[in-house]
Amino acid sequence: MLWALWAAFWLLMIGVSIEDQLRNPLTRWWEPVLSEGSSALVSTGWMWLAVRVRGRYARYLDKPMIWFGSYLRWLPLVFITWITAVYAIRHGVYAAVGRTYEHSGWGFVVVYESLKLTYFTGLWLGILFGIDSYGQWQLQWRRLLQTQKALAEAQLAQLQGQLRPHFLFNALNTVSALMHTDVARADRLVAALGDLLRISLRSNEHEMTPLAEELRALELYADIMLERFRDRVTLDWQIDQALLDIPVPALLLQPLLENVFKHGVEPTVAHVRVIVSVGRESGSLEIVVSNSGSMLAPEHRDGVGFRNCRERLSIIYGNTASMLVRNEGDGVAARVLIPLMDTIQ
Amino acid sequence: MIRAVIADDEAPAREKLERWVAEQPDMTVVGSAEDGLSAAQCIEQLRPDVAFLDVQMPTLSGLQAAAQLEPSSAPLIVFVTAFDEHAVKAFDLNAVDYLLKPYDLDRFKRTVQRVRERLHAHESGATAVAIGRARAPSCERLLVPDGERLQLIDAASVEWLQADDNYVHVHTASRTYLLRRTLQDLLSQLGEQRFVRIHKSTAVNLGSIGSLTPLFKGDYEIHLHNGRTLRLSRRYREALFARMGQ
Repeated sequence: MLWALWAAFWLLMIGVSIEDQLRNPLTRWWEPVLSEGSSALVSTGWMWLAVRVRGRYARYLDKPMIWFGSYLRWLPLVFITWITAVYAIRHGVYAAVGRTYEHSGWGFVVVYESLKLTYFTGLWLGILFGIDSYGQWQLQWRRLLQTQKALAEAQLAQLQGQLRPHFLFNALNTVSALMHTDVARADRLVAALGDLLRISLRSNEHEMTPLAEELRALELYADIMLERFRDRVTLDWQIDQALLDIPVPALLLQPLLENVFKHGVEPTVAHVRVIVSVGRESGSLEIVVSNSGSMLAPEHRDGVGFRNCRERLSIIYGNTASMLVRNEGDGVAARVLIPLMDTIQ
Repeated sequence: MIRAVIADDEAPAREKLERWVAEQPDMTVVGSAEDGLSAAQCIEQLRPDVAFLDVQMPTLSGLQAAAQLEPSSAPLIVFVTAFDEHAVKAFDLNAVDYLLKPYDLDRFKRTVQRVRERLHAHESGATAVAIGRARAPSCERLLVPDGERLQLIDAASVEWLQADDNYVHVHTASRTYLLRRTLQDLLSQLGEQRFVRIHKSTAVNLGSIGSLTPLFKGDYEIHLHNGRTLRLSRRYREALFARMGQ
């Protein structure tokens, strides 16, 4: 693209000067060709060098002053080498055919050619800048589209994770079982499921919600799970009522209770006691979800739910919040510590 | 009457199935279980015509429980599951029946009708057992009778197996269990990696072999780590040597 323009430009220049020569009988046909040809040859050398470093200067494309400056600082060297080389060629060729190359005095030549070179260098740097900027813009646009696609995929995956088909189908089956024996309870369960889905769909990663609301969502989830696993689980809430207005990240706690059911309740036939407690612990809000009767496997690794919780905490609170899962007593406890704003200030 | 066993760890789901089975004029619920191990035990003791097994259960999954059954005498099995694309794919629509939760009475009646037809055609649950074995890692654990109960033992702890008509003596370091299975079927369940046949009626855990002593006519004596000596028939010699890497 650039080189095609370059070639077209010089063909045009040579063409124009030949045209000019035809009207001027004092000059020979090859004189304008030599004149423009020597200019083209030396200019092409410099253009070639400029193109070689375009990759190195590409990172300055969004700072045009620096980009142009990076090229223009070579301009004095261009003047000297260009004038020396071009006039050497012309004098050489004229001498070879036994003639003398006549031109104005050297002072005038240097000033005149330098001005001309500045003008053309500016023109071609402008073209180079345009081509490179367009290329970079296209590249960035493609990257942006790719990033957006990946983000959309991640969000979709998260949404699907939130809907948790296994949970949903089992809950529906429980409703379908209860309908035949206890319509009022089946009705309550459908309402709880509806509320829970509404909350899941409404919330996003960055949303904060009062602790009371978060616990309400957790209660909806617990109601459904307790109906499914009735006779096998008891759930106790130990809540410090004074802390209910504190904002916490929305749907932070549900993955913790999900893990209790997945790893503490579902794989065992024994009765399990689950405790959700909220309290104040040395300047922090402490939320603990614990269950009796099962231990972490020795090679335990945090699952997606825990990792996601921890990431969200670190995005919102930096390293002032924490989440820890470990064996405590005869069971497993997940402990979340969130800094209390009033104690920080 | 069609005798049914029902296994689901979630009480509401179990009660729904129990009620619907009991409502069928030609069916009766003979037992129900809340986990896979008791389900297998129910099936062994009660010998029902059909078993409804939830896939996700404690102790043993429905598939693992099915995998432990003896194919020719296994009841027809209907797998019940909430959402398990992979399991459903494995169920191959015609090979075995399954119910997807939540299901309605019409769907349940279709399943029951299919069960009736298969019982009429004297089909067994062999396909369901085969699917269970293919789907669940059944070769690591073995269900054995322990008095009135069944218990799970580690396949690695079994030193050798001895056929006795339609029974197999399962020898571990501490004791011997008697299983109403054929040696061939037990070996197919336990897999080829660990056990190898050394005689028409004997198979041995490769890990318990201590040394070999040649006898006449190509037979060998196998000395186990526990001191016991078994006879290696020359018919099985090549296969054993190949497995031992000689």
